[in-house]
Parts: sequence; structure tokens; C-alpha cells
Amino acid sequence: MARSAPTEWTAPAPPGTPVNVAGPSVPLAPARSRRSRARRGVLFLLMVAVAAVMLYPFYFMITTSFHTEAQYQTGHGSSISSWTTLGQTVPIGQQLLNSTLICAASIAIILVVSISAGFAFSKLQFRGSQGVFLALVGAMMVPLQSILIPEYVNVSRLGLTNNYTGAILVYAALGTPFATFLMTTYFRGLPDELIEAAVVDGLSYPATLWRVALPLALPAIATVTVLQFVQIWDDLLVGLLFLQNPAERPITVGLAVLASGRTTSVPILMAGSLVSALPAMVVYLGFQRYLVRGLTLGVGK
Amino acid sequence: MAALVTPVAMSRSVERSQRPRRMRLSTQRRLTGLVLSIPALALVVAFVVIPIVQAVYYSMTQWNGVTSTWIGPSAYTQTFHNPAFWQVLTNNGLLLLAVPFALAIPLGIAVLLHERVRGWKFFRSVYFLPTAISWVVIGMVAERFFAYDGPLDKIIGSHTDFLGSSSTALLALAITFVWSMIGTNTVIFLTGLATLDTTVQEAAFVDGATAWQSFSNVTLPHLKRFVQLAFIMTVISAFSALFSLIFVMTGGGPGYSTTTMEFFVYQTGFSQSEFGTAALYGIVLFVMMAVVGIVQLKLIRSE
Repeated sequence: MARSAPTEWTAPAPPGTPVNVAGPSVPLAPARSRRSRARRGVLFLLMVAVAAVMLYPFYFMITTSFHTEAQYQTGHGSSISSWTTLGQTVPIGQQLLNSTLICAASIAIILVVSISAGFAFSKLQFRGSQGVFLALVGAMMVPLQSILIPEYVNVSRLGLTNNYTGAILVYAALGTPFATFLMTTYFRGLPDELIEAAVVDGLSYPATLWRVALPLALPAIATVTVLQFVQIWDDLLVGLLFLQNPAERPITVGLAVLASGRTTSVPILMAGSLVSALPAMVVYLGFQRYLVRGLTLGVGK
Repeated sequence: MAALVTPVAMSRSVERSQRPRRMRLSTQRRLTGLVLSIPALALVVAFVVIPIVQAVYYSMTQWNGVTSTWIGPSAYTQTFHNPAFWQVLTNNGLLLLAVPFALAIPLGIAVLLHERVRGWKFFRSVYFLPTAISWVVIGMVAERFFAYDGPLDKIIGSHTDFLGSSSTALLALAITFVWSMIGTNTVIFLTGLATLDTTVQEAAFVDGATAWQSFSNVTLPHLKRFVQLAFIMTVISAFSALFSLIFVMTGGGPGYSTTTMEFFVYQTGFSQSEFGTAALYGIVLFVMMAVVGIVQLKLIRSE
């Protein structure tokens, strides 16, 4: 489907038409308009086809959630029973609260440490700060699975797997390298004169960060917050291992455990999935441009 | 204290306090920088750096969670005699074959969107939307999609349990993975296309280049850095982000047919309680990621 797109593109106009002068970026020139309209129709249909593929899971979740297990098996009839019994099967309110708490605490830690470190690495360089920065950012390349065993042993020996603390600290540590990279890059873009002027005016360096640099860094802060929110909200592995008390499980982990148990009815699982997906989707659609910025920052234009 | 202060010292301290603050400003700046970077550093050292060192040590022990015995580097040679290890490594290799698809399909979609046909912004959001949902949720839907007499069977008119057969389970996982990467990679390519200077394309067009020639000689080289970014992110995901999908869809099975190295770490550690061996697999995974990173850097430098 996607492959045909480039070949459709900019077919040469008939010789002698004025279109060549205007260039192919003006496809509405009269001689080409009919052809161009047909081409646009094809492109539109292609986009609709891709959209259908991308939206399929949502269609599946919504339609399945309005069935009973038996109706799901036969494919006939509809019912709202999985929605009315969702709360009895899945402690959905508690799990949503757990997810929110864990996300909020982890993101708060990530923001505090990455903003301070980012400001330090970009504006308050000390001897060896470049090396420290590189080491910190390099930690981004370490997958959690590579350190999973010692991490689990350490955190459980400290007794932190029995409450939210362990998971929050692990999420915070895993999110910090990229967040620091992002904040450092952002602060580097602020003119040094701005900081110097504030200091000459009598502000201390921490006060300069708080009153001058921080308000200017709001877009970067939004990027870090949104990226981390979606990542932590959607994560399974950390929540699965570092929260030993089932009552403290976030919603994504709760659903995965139910799904792997293979005893819960599929329509209920789908209803739960929709509920769990909603907050991340809202954040995603609302803050799309911050996400895109974070995503493509590595290219550094 | 005051009694001990000699006249010289006193005059010095007076002098210091009377000197303009600016004299000590650079020290103050460095000191603040050091202090401000400590929390981030401490967090990463405690939760990432120290565990790496521990993992190397653990990998050379035999440890069931209770008793631990040092066996040294021979732990690695023992592992290389384990056929399951090689099967898992092969699975990782096979997943790499999905990477070109995870790049080419989004590239096509990005080019399609870049045509800016009416409604393209809406479609962009639609294509990006699945990126928001957890791989746990995607895995739950995919499990049903590939199930016996599920939607896929209905579409292609077969009666196959794709996840239940060791010959198709990894393929089903790879397809789900490619689908999951579409949103992210499309957005990366779209950002790249937006930076493209259209006059170059127009010049190629005026010179009589076909659409394909213009795409492969002008657009694609321009997108090089974006392709590299998408490539590295896709490979990292293939090696370290499939845990949720595997956990929900197959549990690594049938047999080891969908176990990748990252899932092997979890399985070995937490299902079989072989912490030492699990740590070793973690180190292997780390080396695999490092190799990918180094190859990527070499490719960038050679150009």
C-alpha cells in the first residue's frame, strides 16, 4: 500500500504546458487539474486504508468489549455486561490511582534531577563536567534487562519492593539519562549573557535557574513530562517485578497479569484495556508536538 | 574561634568579605554546577552503573537466589553449549529481519502524508495514536488477531493457530512489532521530509528525473540522518522493548520459539530462579546492544 506512493508522485506534465515553469509544487495549474484530482483521490484512499490498519486494535477493543464471553466466541449479539462487571473483576479505580501516583512521583524526581543537572552541564561547567555528562547520557544505552537481576536483588534487599518506592526510583533512574540529555541541549540554546546578567544583578546561581532559566525551559519540561508519562504508564517489566504487593500494581501491569492468567473473559480485558489506554492517548493527542520534538531531538538539525 | 584569629588572618578575611562578589563568582559557579549535577549522577550510579558491575560478577556465579557459588568465566563457555541459548540468539537475529520493514513501510506512509492531501494532519494523528497505547494492550489484541479462527484466519481463509505453532509464532510477533513501530518511525520520517528543500526536487523534476529517481537520488539521501535515527531506535526496541508483547502473546513459547534475549533474562531469573545465568544473559544482551551502537557509529563516521 505504502510502496505505491512515491511512484504516483510528480508524473511529468505534457511538454509545452506552463506547469513546468511553475514547477511541480503547483499541481492545480489548469492543464493538470483533472489528473491531479484523480491522483489526490487515490492518495486519499491510501491514507484511509492505512488509517484502517492503524485503528484496527481500537475497533477490536471497542466492539469486543460490548459482548459477553459467549457472544465474543460466536460473534453474535451485544451486551454491556463486561462494562458493568469490569470493576468487580479488575480493581480498576485503585490501579488507575496506582499508575497516577507512580507516574507523578517518578516524573517529579526526573524533572528535579534533570533540570538541575542539565543547567549545570550547560551553564555551570566544572572540571570534568563534560565527562560526567557523557557518562550519564551513555547510561541511556543500557537496557533494563541487562541489569535486571542485580537491580532486583538490590531493591528487594533494601525492602523497597513492598511499597511504591522501589518502582518509583527505578523509573526515575531509567528516565534520568535521556531527560538530562534533553534539558542540557535545551539550556545550551539559552544565551550565556542571560545567566550572567541575572548573576550580576545579584541573583545566586540556584536562584537564576529557578527564576530565569526555568520559566524559559517550559517547552523542554513539557517534552520530558509527556514522554516519561507515556513510557511509565505503559510499562510492564518494572511494575511486574518491583511492586510485589498486587494492591499496588499499576493498571497496565494488572491487565497483563490478568491476560497471562488466561482465565479472565476477553471482553472484560478489552474494556479494561480501553480504560487503561485512554489517559495516555489523551496526553498523546494533546501534546503531540512535544513528543515529536523529543523523538527527533537525536537528529539535531 | 575569634580568639585564635591572627591579625594577618583577620585582615585577610575582612578583605575577602569586602572584595566584590565577582572575584569568587567563577568558583561559586563551578561549585553550584557540581552540586546540581550530583542528584542525577547519584541516581544513575546507584541504579544503573553499580548494577552493571554487579551483573558481571553475578554472571560468573551459580546462584539460585539462596546459595551462590563462584564458577568464574567458565560460566560463559558453559552457556555456549546450551542449545536454548543459541535458539534465543537466532530469534534475535530473525527479528532483525523485521527492521527493514519497520523502516520501509513508515517511509512510504511519510511520503504519502507529505503529499499534503486534504486531511493529512488528521491522518498523521491517527497513525501516531497507537504509539500511545501500551505494548501490553497491543499484545492482547494481537493475541486474538492471530488466534485459531481469529480475524487473520478469517481474512486469509485458513484455520491456523499462529501463536501456537513454533513455525509461525515468531513471524506473528515480528508483524506485531513492525505494526507497533509504524507511528514512531512515520513521525521521524515526516519531520525529516519537512526539512527537505523542495527547490532541489523541482530542479530534478525539470531535469527530467522520474518520480523514483527523484526519490532515491534526492529525498532518500536527504533523509539519511533520520533513517539512521529510526534504524537505531527500531533495533533498540527489537532487542529491549518486546518484553510486554512476548509476556502477553506467547510467554516465550511454544518451546523457546519466541523467546528473545531480554525475555530469556526474565524467564531464567524469575521462572527458573537461576539468577547467575540470568545475569549472564543480561550481559550478552548488553554486548549485543553495544555492537549495534558501535556499528552505527562506524557507519556514520565512514561517510
